Amino acid sequence: MTTLEVPPGALPSRKLRLMISFLLGMAAVLCLLFAFLGMGPASFFVDFRFIADLAEQMLPPNMGLLWSKSIFFSLIDTLSMAFLGTIVGGALALFLAFFAAINTAPHRLVRLFTRTLLVANRSVPHLIVILVLLVAVGIGPFAGVLTLIFGSVGMYGKFFADAIEQSDKGTLESVESVGSTRLQTIRFAVLPQVMPSFAANLFYAFDYNLRAAIPLGVFGGGGIGFQLAFANGLLHYKDVLAYTIAIVVMINGMERISDWVRRSIITQPMVTK
Amino acid sequence: MLQVTNVRVVLPNGKRLVNDVSFSVGRGEFVSILGSSGAGKSLTLRCIVGLTRPSEGKITLTGPEGKTYSTTSVGQKEMRRARRHIGLIFQGSNLVKRLTVLENVMLGRLGHIHPLRSWMLGFKDSEARAAMVALDRVNMAQCAARLAGSLSGGEMQRVSIARAIYQRPLIYLADEPISSLDPKNAEAIMSILQPLSRETPVIGAFHQPVVVARYCTRVIGIREGRVVYDGPAQLSARQLESIYGDSSAESLAPPYDLEAQPFLFEPDLQPPMRQGIHQGVAV
Amino acid sequence: MGALSTAPFRQEFPFLEWKRGLTVQRWKHLAAAVLLAVLTVFASFRCNVDVASFFTGIGKGAALLQMFFPPEWSGVGGMMQPLAVTAVMALIATILGMCLSLPCALAASSNLAPPLLRLTMRSFIALERGLPEIVQMLLLIAIFGLGAIPGLVALSFSSIGMLAKLLADGIEEIEPQMLEAVEGTGATRSQVIRYAVIPQILPSLLANGLFRFEVNVRAGVILGAVGAGGIGYVMSSSMNAMEYPRACMATLLTLALVFASERISDFFRARIFSAGALR
Repeated sequence: MTTLEVPPGALPSRKLRLMISFLLGMAAVLCLLFAFLGMGPASFFVDFRFIADLAEQMLPPNMGLLWSKSIFFSLIDTLSMAFLGTIVGGALALFLAFFAAINTAPHRLVRLFTRTLLVANRSVPHLIVILVLLVAVGIGPFAGVLTLIFGSVGMYGKFFADAIEQSDKGTLESVESVGSTRLQTIRFAVLPQVMPSFAANLFYAFDYNLRAAIPLGVFGGGGIGFQLAFANGLLHYKDVLAYTIAIVVMINGMERISDWVRRSIITQPMVTK
Repeated sequence: MLQVTNVRVVLPNGKRLVNDVSFSVGRGEFVSILGSSGAGKSLTLRCIVGLTRPSEGKITLTGPEGKTYSTTSVGQKEMRRARRHIGLIFQGSNLVKRLTVLENVMLGRLGHIHPLRSWMLGFKDSEARAAMVALDRVNMAQCAARLAGSLSGGEMQRVSIARAIYQRPLIYLADEPISSLDPKNAEAIMSILQPLSRETPVIGAFHQPVVVARYCTRVIGIREGRVVYDGPAQLSARQLESIYGDSSAESLAPPYDLEAQPFLFEPDLQPPMRQGIHQGVAV
Repeated sequence: MGALSTAPFRQEFPFLEWKRGLTVQRWKHLAAAVLLAVLTVFASFRCNVDVASFFTGIGKGAALLQMFFPPEWSGVGGMMQPLAVTAVMALIATILGMCLSLPCALAASSNLAPPLLRLTMRSFIALERGLPEIVQMLLLIAIFGLGAIPGLVALSFSSIGMLAKLLADGIEEIEPQMLEAVEGTGATRSQVIRYAVIPQILPSLLANGLFRFEVNVRAGVILGAVGAGGIGYVMSSSMNAMEYPRACMATLLTLALVFASERISDFFRARIFSAGALR
């Protein structure tokens, strides 16, 4: 090395300039975005009176409600919605996933069709589904369950299809070579490998569906979301706070429980790829 | 000059991991600490730099003008001041992988930069140029703009040495610097460290007595936390055995159960690594 | 002593133990299946699952969907603004979430923060995550009134919660040796954060942020229906007014938006992982 020069890309002063211009750019973009929504800094400095007012109306929360039967059953309803949505949706997703994976689909066109179906299904927002179903089957948890099932199929079908595609080819071929049918191959070669990630995904799906069940309830899907929206509509803020506390406790609690159950059920596979 | 006096690291159950270790290191020395795994080599080095607080003992560093720094029984500020003068070279990954090689080298003198300046302005161009000189000394100047994570093990180790060189410390501390390298890279590292040691003392923990005999000027043998040998680097077989002992018996000892402490800057005890064959099951 | 075991390599295959293990496993599977079945039946009861109404519902739903088509193409122009509102709301919430989650995550990591601060921060993050956006929205409407502001605040809060948790978990996974090496040069804690922690987690922060953008778009649609405006409001109001072709148009636009957000997110995330790091 004759001359020892700092490579221009690594010069600290240049990096400093890049960083500063990036930060300024981000700030400018943010200001533009805020302006687009018609929000200035003034919009956030709301009269403290409103917050104090609301706090006064909310506190103390109606703790008696927390021990009542109705809230207990509402929580059970929401949990049941999430549970059914996960189980049935997961089963459907697994079923469809086999048609969407290269190594188990009967024909390439079938795979393409199923994949597109799954992608389309995944993009449909829950909102429109619940609104349509509310008309079709009426208000109540049933509409919520169907919405969650519909939503889970697309989301997890893709995961499962990817997992199936990634299963070990060698195992597949060795089972096929002893002369088993496609169904038997799936049962003995693919399924055991896919099961751990499938089960793990089911737990994540349950967590997701539980959180999604609440807005569905607000729109009429029943469960604790419905109760909360109802109380909000009546301006019974003490009840609203009680329901909120119940929801937070339920979500956090179920997350811990499902974490624990998942960890104790899912053992590492004996043979890793 | 480094002065280590009666350093002891005692576990809560009374077991002494480092037992009354004393030595001093002066100019021009290339000291190697030898010992079997779990003997206390790494722990001694960690005590010197303050990453582990010894239960007893005194460690001082004396500069050329007579200024002393200590890493025992000092507060955070004093500790940081002392650490500026100790160049650390670890085994394995000790570079920040997502920074460039040049930035990793410039991290060496972070102790001399005010934190506000670090956040607001970052590094200076003059520091970058000085870092290039350090990189050139280990022959890594051409990789200055590459991400540290894209380098091989030997290259990463050289960059670590460049960082230590850039730091201009009073002493270099190397914790098993060549253990994870292939022989060729190991030789390269040792041939960098040796001329370095002539200007600034180097003290390192090593596993390889043969390499040590070729490059180092002095060996300190540690066994079960005690200094059992302190002398020239060329060791006879008997002296080696007195240091390593019948290592298989030691390595069957159960792993130490040390409490983890969450504070980053509260030094915690690092469990020593276990190596060896245990009743037919290789670990 | 300490020599490799010299037992002969070929051993008797422990057939009986294996068979017993298999039977136990089969019983466990059976028990799990029974439990699932019981829970499913119970849940079906609670949710008024009615197969008959399902089939009639198909009929009703099909009739309804027929009224959706053809979609009201002429309404596209008027729906662009609400669509942009939803997208911008999601974007701002994502950016704010990324920026504000960083200090929260630093305070919530076990290797950087004292235990008390970590516990407080983690509880705060759990609260932000456990509170569904819609619940936050309802409360915020009481403070801010209707409009995009409560939606924005609700989305930002949830974004901060999710991103901070993921980030804190990532920070705790950084190899301690990397941090110790920087610490050993005499750096202060903030310098270690600036030069060791932040560069390491920056890619995952960006990747998580991009994922959160997708989530925010969907959530923004739902919040819109509750009062935040945007395309969600158009959708629900047209459903309520029984203007089905209009609702269909709004749905199609929403689909396009969600799809676009997913493509963008996937594209940039792939770029992040292939480049290794930004900067």
